[in-house]
Amino acid sequence: MEQLILASGACDPANDIICKPDNVIELFKFEDNLFAIGPWGITRTVFLILLAMVIVLTLLFFGLRKRRMVPSKFGVTIESLMQFVRDDIAVGIIGPEGTKYYPWLLSLFMFILVGNLFEVTPLINFPITSRMAIAGGLSLLTWVIFVFVGFKKNGFRYVGALVWPTTVPIALRPLVGLIEFVSTFLLRPLTLAVRLFANMVAGHLMLTLLLVSGWVFMSSVGEIGARALIGVPWFAFGLGIFVFEIIVAILQAYIFTLLSAVYVESSIHIEH
Amino acid sequence: MEELKGAIAVMGYGLAAIGPGIGIGLVVASAISAMARQPEAAGMVRTTMFLGIAFTEALALIGFVLFFIA
Repeated sequence: MEQLILASGACDPANDIICKPDNVIELFKFEDNLFAIGPWGITRTVFLILLAMVIVLTLLFFGLRKRRMVPSKFGVTIESLMQFVRDDIAVGIIGPEGTKYYPWLLSLFMFILVGNLFEVTPLINFPITSRMAIAGGLSLLTWVIFVFVGFKKNGFRYVGALVWPTTVPIALRPLVGLIEFVSTFLLRPLTLAVRLFANMVAGHLMLTLLLVSGWVFMSSVGEIGARALIGVPWFAFGLGIFVFEIIVAILQAYIFTLLSAVYVESSIHIEH
Repeated sequence: MEELKGAIAVMGYGLAAIGPGIGIGLVVASAISAMARQPEAAGMVRTTMFLGIAFTEALALIGFVLFFIA
């Protein structure tokens, strides 16, 4: 029984219904340094951010190094990924002027994709986007860009059209304007960050709990005998979730980039 | 009070998942019927479907985060 509550530290033995992991606070906290370079301490998360950056740069560099009439298989993969971001997200959502935002959207997509896929990479098994600082930082960048674009393209009409929507009956305008203002400037960055963060945390927790509990059951076969077979379906379920998490990682990178493009589009064309 | 707190957070997440569950079902059902009626518009419908799912899902995810914060 000691081992079974391995994954949930704050278990009350008298009342075993409520078990809660005691270390979820680490999702919002800084970890101990792995090593330090001068004044900059490098934690595991920071190290993985740098690793993700290096991976993205390497992929793009080697994918596009030689421009050939018939590119290699690797080059085709990278090019079709880039074409997907350009045609489906940048130009497809924002319109012809979307090519201006294409480099930003591509780097966002590639970084989040690599960061999410760390979740299912053996020996790493930790999605860097499950730290609020990273999801929040990326969504703050999107917030700054779409607010800046809105003011640059439309001036103060950007806020004016939001808080005083002329397509709504005049009695409802203050209420609708307030809702629009709050949802645009406060809820958009919050939900953008929370969506990525919560999806990654949920997947990470689910994988950890299922695989660890399955493993604990199966490895204690000497003590509990045939009852250790309970661990087999848990472990199999964990492996099923593993495949599902690959899909979630790709989908969340796509959705984050798509929503960033949608927000920029709504700042450029304020009429609707 | 400490035990009660955890139990209420679990129930709160369950309640927060009801609405988005129904909502995502409606979004995907409409998208499937749209794609079946007009397969040539499938790409556009799929993009819009993901947008709709993302907006609907946000409520459930906020509930999920509140479960940890509470």
